[in-house]
Amino acid sequence: MRFSGNRKLYTLAAVISVFLLFLAGCKQENESARKHYVAIITKSMDSAFWKSVYAGAGAAATEYNLQVSMEGPEREEDYEAQNRMIRRAVAEGAEAIVFSAVDYNANCEAINEAARKGVKIVVIDSDVNSSQVSCRIGTDNLEAGRMAGYAALKAESGALYIGIVNYDINSANGQQREEGFREVAGEDARVKDMYTINVLSATEDAREGTVALLREHPEINVVVAFNEWTSLGVGWAIRDLGLADKTQVVAFDSNVVSVGMLETGEVDALIVQNPYAMGYLGVEESYRLINGGSGNGAVIDTATTCVTRENMFEPECQRALFAFD
Amino acid sequence: MKRKKGKESPEMIAMPLSSIMNLFVVGMVLLALSGGLAVFVSVFRRFVEQNAVISSEQAVVQVSNTVYNYTKDMEEIMELIEDSYRQEKEIRDNALETLIRIRKDVIAITSYDERGGMVDSWTGNYCLKGMILKNLSYIRKEEGAEDRLLISGPHAETLLENYYPWVVSIRKDLETGDGKKHAVVMDVRFSQIANYVDEVGIGQHGYCFIMDKNGDIVYHPQQQLIYSGLKQEQTDILTDLEDGALVKRNVIYSIRSLDNCGWRIVGVSYIEELVTGRVMDAIRILLILTAFLLVTVFLSSFLLSKMISRPIQSLVKAMRDFETDAEEFSYQPVHGSKEIIALSDSFDHMVDRIQDLMEKVRREEITLRKTELKALQAQINPHFLYNTLDAIGWMCEEERSKDAVEMVNALARLFRISISKGHELIPIEREVEHARSYLMIQNFRYKNQFTYSFEVEKSCLPYLCNKITLQPIIENAIYHGIDRMVDEGEIIIRIFEDGGDIVFSVSDNGVGMSQEQCRNILKSEPGDQTGIGMKNVNDRIKIYFGEKYGMTIQSELDEGTCVSIRMPKVEENRYEV
Repeated sequence: MRFSGNRKLYTLAAVISVFLLFLAGCKQENESARKHYVAIITKSMDSAFWKSVYAGAGAAATEYNLQVSMEGPEREEDYEAQNRMIRRAVAEGAEAIVFSAVDYNANCEAINEAARKGVKIVVIDSDVNSSQVSCRIGTDNLEAGRMAGYAALKAESGALYIGIVNYDINSANGQQREEGFREVAGEDARVKDMYTINVLSATEDAREGTVALLREHPEINVVVAFNEWTSLGVGWAIRDLGLADKTQVVAFDSNVVSVGMLETGEVDALIVQNPYAMGYLGVEESYRLINGGSGNGAVIDTATTCVTRENMFEPECQRALFAFD
Repeated sequence: MKRKKGKESPEMIAMPLSSIMNLFVVGMVLLALSGGLAVFVSVFRRFVEQNAVISSEQAVVQVSNTVYNYTKDMEEIMELIEDSYRQEKEIRDNALETLIRIRKDVIAITSYDERGGMVDSWTGNYCLKGMILKNLSYIRKEEGAEDRLLISGPHAETLLENYYPWVVSIRKDLETGDGKKHAVVMDVRFSQIANYVDEVGIGQHGYCFIMDKNGDIVYHPQQQLIYSGLKQEQTDILTDLEDGALVKRNVIYSIRSLDNCGWRIVGVSYIEELVTGRVMDAIRILLILTAFLLVTVFLSSFLLSKMISRPIQSLVKAMRDFETDAEEFSYQPVHGSKEIIALSDSFDHMVDRIQDLMEKVRREEITLRKTELKALQAQINPHFLYNTLDAIGWMCEEERSKDAVEMVNALARLFRISISKGHELIPIEREVEHARSYLMIQNFRYKNQFTYSFEVEKSCLPYLCNKITLQPIIENAIYHGIDRMVDEGEIIIRIFEDGGDIVFSVSDNGVGMSQEQCRNILKSEPGDQTGIGMKNVNDRIKIYFGEKYGMTIQSELDEGTCVSIRMPKVEENRYEV
């Protein structure tokens, strides 16, 4: 009895000692973890919108000590380039991809493939047709479209002819915004007709398209555009044609030029999204997912602001419009 | 020498001393350590917390000094502008345009007349807008306010074409040459302090930011996060606070105001990461120490148990052995600590003393029985003597002189052997003779009411036995067995070897005794005949030869009694008492 009692005690002692040493050691293990890699793949790279997204993503990457890469195709219609970027990111060991889809359907296969390899998918701004998306972050596009609708209906004319200058028909967010817009505009009796054109997401193409549309339908007195480049194109077209006073223009996103046009009157309302938050939250969410967080198709809406000439220098609108750099 | 029955059970649940000691020591150590740890953590935490507050305040002081220098710098630029106002307009334009081009953080300089109308502007590379929708740079001056620098909150620059940086406007009223006063406003970005403020870290995630006295944030390292609504700063609480440090829900806020403008520098740091990190480090070291300490404790308690518990156990074993056999026990001293040796020595002395005492008691007992026997012999029952002498007298009268002689001889032999020169042990042969003489006398007296026979193994005769062993038993057989019989009685005396022992047995066919009588007979005091009872016989045998020897009685009513005595073989000259 004496002997067995002692043996038990010594075992206990050994166990306690090992446990204590383990406790002491375990924190150091955590610290030596390598940096996680998050790839951010956007629709394009050089608009103010995406630059702001990158800024947000960079801030989050610093905050959470992540390695991030940011890229997007040259043209905003090039889904194949995006698919190549997805595959390369997976090959380079990305643990999460923050993605904004050029094409709702054409990007789906590459995304599913990445997800099958265990890569977490976070969608920002524009959705992709995949069930593998852990989290969707961005503007509530239907709501933003409705907001644009209400802004367009502020036009004072008795009869409204609306020209819609939209971009790639396969891009989910553009279509959702148009849907929201048509929903609101369609309810107003003053709206007599709506004409939609789809142009390339580039200023010049949008300008030419808008000029052609306005020449074809001179009765148009409301023009809506749903992203940064088409907005600029519309703005330039209105300026070229000298229709600033005659036409109610509702545009999207904050660009130095479109803000200037809001001041000078070519643009009457800007629907401003929160790209910085998209980038930041996209990376933050990736970090959470990499570290075992769950997100079954959660949706996070970022704020949208409707800025007009009257309120553009209110403190809130200043913050939405102008990036702090 | 009795053992209590209950003694086994507490031993079963009782733990060995060494385990108790180990548990105790380990328990104490763990208790002390955890108590110490708790105290240490709370003291250390408070200490680190104070340190954190101090370092946070120091960081804020540094930042405020830098920002103060920056505002001084701005004042100097204002003075430059003031100087330029004493020059010709052309020179002034030139000087101010150059200033804007050199100082990247000065975005625009504008001047206003007393009614707020813009008089002049210098904008460097950027063009002033043709139509200014809203001028956020012009700071309205309250009536009667002091003539000092006015600083606006942060706002977007609204004066320039396609350029909307966040700026702070600084206003100063200057005398123009013609006696009028112009308000000069300078729009400044703070890229310079921004870089500095961004670099300031307090702990891992702590930072500093600048707010004005209304609680509006002038510059924050994460300004865009705040503008995007992803982060909030509790400026509403901070606005009302005096300068100093505030610890609020694990966050330390250190605030310091600049006296030349309304700005306040706020340092934000997180106690948890500052304190917990260090406390965790300390705890980790403590845990390692504890582990080593525990190992040491176990080793030392193992050694202790070896030094104390083991010797105590051998002491216990020795005591137990002593308890079972005190006479034969010989003690081997136990080694160990000083106390153990003292215990062992005491026990050694005690054993010696007890054994001495036991020997003394035995000797005293022997002396006592001897004296008793002698006393009894001395007062040999006069009734027996009288009856015998009466019988002899009667025989002489009847002229049975031969019988009378035999009786007298037997009586003489009886007494001679009884005395035996005072020896306690006599040869069995003599004892048999003694018994024979007694039986002869009694047979005469009882007129042949009984017969008797001896069956004695010859080999037994030379051994020694206690004297007057058989006679009291035979006496008992006659008085309690034969005397009351109607038929002729029979007494058989057997003496035979049984292994190393010799067995005497006296059996009769008398009335027998009950169990109770059998028990009493060994306890009762001498009968009234020869004066020497069965108890005395039994006692003497046990004193001389030990407990395993002595008398046993088997008896059945109406059947007879058999009394046996067992004693060891004692050779002459070997046992002399």
